[in-house]
Amino acid sequence: MTFLHPILLAGLALTVLPIVIHLINQLRYRTIRWGAMMFLLQANRMSRGLARLRQWLILLMRMLAIACLVFVISRPLASGLMGWLTAGEADTTVILLDRSPSMLDSSGGRSKLVAARQQLADALARFSSKRWVLIESASPKPRELESPAALERLPEAGPTSAAADLPAMLAAARDYIVANQAGRTEVWICSDLRANDWNSDDARWSKLRSSFAGLPQPVHFHLLAYSQPPQGDLAVRVTTVRHRKLGDAAELLVTLRLTRQAGSGDAVTVPVQFEIGGARSALNVELAGTSVEVRDHRIALDRQHLRGWGRVSIPADTNAADNDFYFAFDTSQGAHAITVSDDREVAEALRLTASIAPDPNGACTADILSADQQTSIEWGKAALVLWHAPLPKGDTARELAAFVGRGGQVIFFPPRQPNEREAFGVRWGSWTPVKDDAVIDRWRGDEDLLAKTQSGEDLPIGKLKLTNVCSLVGDATPLATLQDGVPVLARTSTSGGGAYFCTTTPAANDSNLAGEGVVLYVAIQRALAAGAAALGSARQVIAGGNLSEDATAWQRLAGNEGALSSEYGVQAGAYSSGGVLLAVNRPEEEDIAGVLGDERVAGLFEGLDFTRIDQAASSERSLVEELWRPFLMAMMVALLVEAWLCLPRPTKETMTLARPETGPFVFG
Amino acid sequence: MNHQSRPFLDPKVLARLAGIPLFARHPMQGTVSGRHQSPHRGSSVEFAEYREYVPGDDLRRMDWRAFGRCDRYYIKEFEADTNLRCCLVLDTSGSMDFGSRGVTKIEYARRIAGAIGYLAVLQGDAIGLTCIAGGVVRNIPPRRNPAHLSAVFDVLQAARPRGQTQLPQALHELAETVRQRALVVIISDLFVDPEEVRGCFEHLRFRKHDVAVFHLLDPLELDFDFRRPMRFVDLEGGTSIFAEPSAIAERYLTAVRGYLERLKQIVLESAVDYHRVTLSDDYEQVLARFLTGRTRRRGAR
Repeated sequence: MTFLHPILLAGLALTVLPIVIHLINQLRYRTIRWGAMMFLLQANRMSRGLARLRQWLILLMRMLAIACLVFVISRPLASGLMGWLTAGEADTTVILLDRSPSMLDSSGGRSKLVAARQQLADALARFSSKRWVLIESASPKPRELESPAALERLPEAGPTSAAADLPAMLAAARDYIVANQAGRTEVWICSDLRANDWNSDDARWSKLRSSFAGLPQPVHFHLLAYSQPPQGDLAVRVTTVRHRKLGDAAELLVTLRLTRQAGSGDAVTVPVQFEIGGARSALNVELAGTSVEVRDHRIALDRQHLRGWGRVSIPADTNAADNDFYFAFDTSQGAHAITVSDDREVAEALRLTASIAPDPNGACTADILSADQQTSIEWGKAALVLWHAPLPKGDTARELAAFVGRGGQVIFFPPRQPNEREAFGVRWGSWTPVKDDAVIDRWRGDEDLLAKTQSGEDLPIGKLKLTNVCSLVGDATPLATLQDGVPVLARTSTSGGGAYFCTTTPAANDSNLAGEGVVLYVAIQRALAAGAAALGSARQVIAGGNLSEDATAWQRLAGNEGALSSEYGVQAGAYSSGGVLLAVNRPEEEDIAGVLGDERVAGLFEGLDFTRIDQAASSERSLVEELWRPFLMAMMVALLVEAWLCLPRPTKETMTLARPETGPFVFG
Repeated sequence: MNHQSRPFLDPKVLARLAGIPLFARHPMQGTVSGRHQSPHRGSSVEFAEYREYVPGDDLRRMDWRAFGRCDRYYIKEFEADTNLRCCLVLDTSGSMDFGSRGVTKIEYARRIAGAIGYLAVLQGDAIGLTCIAGGVVRNIPPRRNPAHLSAVFDVLQAARPRGQTQLPQALHELAETVRQRALVVIISDLFVDPEEVRGCFEHLRFRKHDVAVFHLLDPLELDFDFRRPMRFVDLEGGTSIFAEPSAIAERYLTAVRGYLERLKQIVLESAVDYHRVTLSDDYEQVLARFLTGRTRRRGAR
């Protein structure tokens, strides 16, 4: 509970007024010389406890009445448990707003985001703070607000298609507090507790806890949680889009997936609508379980229609953020790979692998450059770089890093003479022969380059035979290892695309990668596809992901018309930028409604001053309500009780005694 | 009769009261002839009874007419009138110094005692005075000459209320020391245990004394009408009590009520001529009721 006029609470000191008056009254006593002491002593002995209790109760009622009056004029606010912790003026109030698509769930009649903004603006308007700071999930940069009411009208507080990164938002809040030397700080977090937004296993949490605990100023955390699961929400997602030419015609093969929350058992028919180049078509999809996938749904296209964007939609439901999915396609230009190698055998094997498109109608090209020509690489054209040369240095190394940062893919193969240079934190060690019976023992079959096929079968990795491998020095995540743990394929962490290190080459004296070419072909084509998706002329962009270019320069082709151009990168839609088509969509994790458990959330804030307030989006009740009525009632009750206790109790005998009869009672 | 001015005597009141005789309710044993009934036969004009003659009787009292009618000797006896011995018992304990209406209990008691003493002597009765506080403070045996009355008035005037009340012990002592039947007039606030008072009254009655009590109470003691916290200082030297009157009034009045009820029961059972007197009452009226009440009883004999 807090108060609109907390300064008036100083009036609580007046509650001692009855006691003071009582004491003054006691001091104003008169002294009388009295004869009938025997009655006074007798009266003192009679019912002393009850009479004293009555006096105490009268005093208590008077104090209670005054206290209630002070509370009434201080205008108390009821805000649940959190209210007790927000009394007084905060120096800084930081609002962390989760704008992820899941916050658009409207199971309760209005979206969680709208409810959170409205309830928070209404509640915080009653508190006082010197500074109001908003950190929203799309761009975790602190933004100072004039007042909490700005939350409701600020476009930057609206919904987005990007996932939230709560650790990053909290880190931004911490940095702001430190940089601005804020005083007492209240941090309000509005979120639906989606596991993908909170990244509860992230190592940043422990660092955040320790850093917040070490701040000199008190920081109170208030979590406004809208953790109710969505009801009847369906989500649509396009997994692959392929363009295929059929004689004089062409068609688009769209693979899509429909998902819904667990527990929705009834089979439903979902009308899925496709929109490509203004032409619409529909497909009814039967959904019996929680997920269904429609593979290669054919959509006829004009033969000349080689490039464009499309949208897949399902009918409106409780969450509008996952009812549309955009995609872009462009078969006018194939994916381009560049092989940098001085070894003709290796270079040719790699070029051949990269230049054969998996789709007969697809176009893949590959160039071979020698190590001396590396400066002439056309970085803007390539989607994949196959580097079989000493690790780059200087400008080439920087351009390669920028290429990967934009989403490009690079696979390094060890040169014959490894040098001491590093790339992405890793360098080559020395070549060592492999035992005859050594095979690849473990590999990541669930994701990345060596993942299983769409039919669920493993790649024939067991058929690979390695003769020589080059050791890796540095921090890399193995994707495939030999029995003795020596990595065969490893990946380093980057901010954008992929940087892979294959510790052998397709040369015949190193391995049979070229001879058993399936694994090499699949890996390189997957890397090429990923690079093309990120850097090609038709790109699939995850909302909120790293963008190599300024989204404000994009042109919106479809999507939220009210979105700010500065937020194109986080708003689902189809955009064009310099001849590149971009389809921006929500992350896949947003379709999975995993909510953090209460204990898990509490554990994230362990050791910090943390209060959780569970709120329903459907609730019209404000976070804070004025409470003066109960106090007024309590005051009236206290006064009535006091009056009743003070009522004199005249008895018949007492009245008689007050006028005693005079005269003889008896005569002999 | 001493004509010295006494502050507790009002000649006009005495003059008005002088017309009402003071009678005893029971036969008295006086030394001289008087207005009061004697337990013995005497020579008054009022016939009492016939008694059979025994040798030695005065032949002058022989009723010859009765002898002529029944041939037996009868002595004709008449009532004897004697004088009264009136013992005034004045409580001079500290509590008698209280009075909220301009007159204290001791002053009020002086007026009553003085008037009764004057009236008794006026009709030839003997008057004595005993002042009681922690014990018998002063004792003047009953005499019937006017000079003695002056001495009684002097003691009355000099009496000062102080000390604790030992009324029961003093009354028991008095009951034993007054040899002949007497009218014992107790003037006190009776702030003692009623059960102890019962013993005193029964003791006095056992000794054939005619007991009259003037129970003096102040209106404030009965109403307990206080508006602010009070510190009650015991007039008899006991402990002081600090009390909020509004908190204690109800219980105080209950205690007073219980005390008066018990006292009323006691005086009824011990046949005491009891008068509860409030200091706001006119003492002339009080005395008039006292005297006239006794006159009616006398007439009913």
